[in-house]
Amino acid sequence: MKIPQQYRSKRFWRETGEAYLFLLPTLLVLGVFTFYPFVNAFVYSFYDIRTRTVPGPLIYSVAEEESSSWESFLSRGRIPPELVAVAEKYGSKPEDLWVRLRQKGRWVIKDEANQQEYIVTKEDGALRVYQAKTQWALEPVGWSNFRQAFRDPDFTKAIRNTVLYVGISVPATIILALIIASLLNQVMVGKSVARLAVYLPYITPVVAITMVWRWIYDRDVGLMNYLISSIARFFGANVSFFDWLDDARMALPALIIMNVWRFVGYQSIILLAGMMGIDREYYEAAKVDGASSFQIWRRITLPLLTPQIFFLAVISLIGAFKIFQEVLILFMGPGPQKSALTIVYYVFTKAFDSGHYGLASAASLILFAIIFALSLFQLTVLQRRVHYER
Amino acid sequence: MPGKKGTAIYRIRRALWLFVVYVLVLFIVATMALPFFWMVSTSLKNKTDAMRIPPIWIPKPPYWENYPIAWNSAPFARYFINSFFIAIVTTIGEVLTTIFAAYTFAKMNFFGKNFLFNLLLGTLMIPGEMLLVPSFILVHRIGWYNTYQVLIVPWIVSVFGIFLLRQFFRTIPEEFWDAARIDGCSRVRFVLQIAVPQVRPGIATVALFKFVGSWNAFLWVLVMTDKVGLRTIPVGLRYFIMDIGTEYHLLMAAATMAIVPVILLFLFTQKQFVQGVARTGLR
Repeated sequence: MKIPQQYRSKRFWRETGEAYLFLLPTLLVLGVFTFYPFVNAFVYSFYDIRTRTVPGPLIYSVAEEESSSWESFLSRGRIPPELVAVAEKYGSKPEDLWVRLRQKGRWVIKDEANQQEYIVTKEDGALRVYQAKTQWALEPVGWSNFRQAFRDPDFTKAIRNTVLYVGISVPATIILALIIASLLNQVMVGKSVARLAVYLPYITPVVAITMVWRWIYDRDVGLMNYLISSIARFFGANVSFFDWLDDARMALPALIIMNVWRFVGYQSIILLAGMMGIDREYYEAAKVDGASSFQIWRRITLPLLTPQIFFLAVISLIGAFKIFQEVLILFMGPGPQKSALTIVYYVFTKAFDSGHYGLASAASLILFAIIFALSLFQLTVLQRRVHYER
Repeated sequence: MPGKKGTAIYRIRRALWLFVVYVLVLFIVATMALPFFWMVSTSLKNKTDAMRIPPIWIPKPPYWENYPIAWNSAPFARYFINSFFIAIVTTIGEVLTTIFAAYTFAKMNFFGKNFLFNLLLGTLMIPGEMLLVPSFILVHRIGWYNTYQVLIVPWIVSVFGIFLLRQFFRTIPEEFWDAARIDGCSRVRFVLQIAVPQVRPGIATVALFKFVGSWNAFLWVLVMTDKVGLRTIPVGLRYFIMDIGTEYHLLMAAATMAIVPVILLFLFTQKQFVQGVARTGLR
């Protein structure tokens, strides 16, 4: 093995030290919040993970003479005034407290606003108040999480919905963006106005813009149904109102229409930049040869845009597979009959609604496999051909 | 067959075609703008007018009361302060870490450089959604659940920003550093005083994207906190919808308030934005 020459230079090692000092914050944060969780995503997929509320620091011991009064309060699901006073010292307001759990010799009091819990236990006849803490219990279960996921009809539904959504919305957006970019390429529009209109959907908070679409999709007084019925009436047809948000057949279309609208502007900007970068000489030559405008578009513009189109295809595929927020806000749930249940939605509810963290981890690995394959494809196959840094 | 250039037929056809294109472009711009227009329009109507069909496009007179009513029906002041605070601190933090990391990868030669670079590149393939569950458990274990730091610290590093800024640093000629070194300038001083001013547009782009990204962040905040006092605008909006249901005139007022800061920022920084998107594609 040959040792590179530079390894013998003192300056190289001094620079190495300096470089790692410069990289320290970056590597620290990435290590803790990316690499470590990344490894754990695999590990946790093979565990059954549960949380338990266990006593944390002791904050109050109840005097013996008060014990019976405490117990009678707690057993009726009410909070002893002394406990309210103790909790107030730890930042809880009296009106937020309620007895969440009553077991034999153990009560859990929850502070709804601060999401803090207190545990009262009876040990050897004495009552003690603890601040609660969450304990994680991990138990290895082999492949059971994966089996459970694939046996769960909701999970297969989530995959099907996601694939359907991706399969329609990604090509639809790119084709529309191509048309829009071709149109924009021919005319000079008031640039700043068009730019604002095109970028706005892209930079505004998804939650806010999805709220607006929720309103647009309203069955009775929404703009969408009004416009559709107006247009239909103009052509002499009569259509019944679509129930965008409550009809299982309309949920995915509603999602797709909204997101095509959101991303088409950005994509046409990228494509337009690509079109303007194409050498004019090609067009001149084609015109001399008598090619029609459509032929020019089909035979020159389109092929020379392939790098941009591929780039957009990959990044929008990756983005589309991760769809979640829009579902949560648009339907305030997984959609009618879970018709808009997506992979990330499944992961989210399994973990944070029902506490099946292991199952959620296993399900999220599917997402990773898809995105990893797409990214690898982009890096290896496309990187050489795509040069989007003009 | 298209007419010959310069003939009357050619000119008429050309004019007609351009007219069609203009109409189409106008239609597209209108479609892009319509939901925003509709949002603002609804936010300025009272409840009965908001529910009217056929719709009232421009409410006369505008009903401004929705804004104070919406503002007071949820702790929006708190949400805004949180969003601004988190976005600003995260942006400053990211700019600092990114400057040094990007400079290191652009200009320094050190042991393990290629390996680290590829490692960083690899993180771009990890979907953040996959890290939610393990991060959630980690955050609980280190006691960061329901804190500001969990909303800030993990986001002060952006691999995407490092790659972007690295391209800018690479354009600085090597001679600058050589000259500075001979004059006894330390590396840190060189980076901050000489290199950074030359890559200002890159830093502006990185900062801008981070600010907007932080302002819009939703899932992480939703998962890592459940305290009202820690909610940011997007998460606050979600709970607002859950509380208020179908009072769309109020919801649209709230949505408008959430969007206005981003629009203002965009209007003032269009150049960086457009450059940034053209350069890399916003993620």
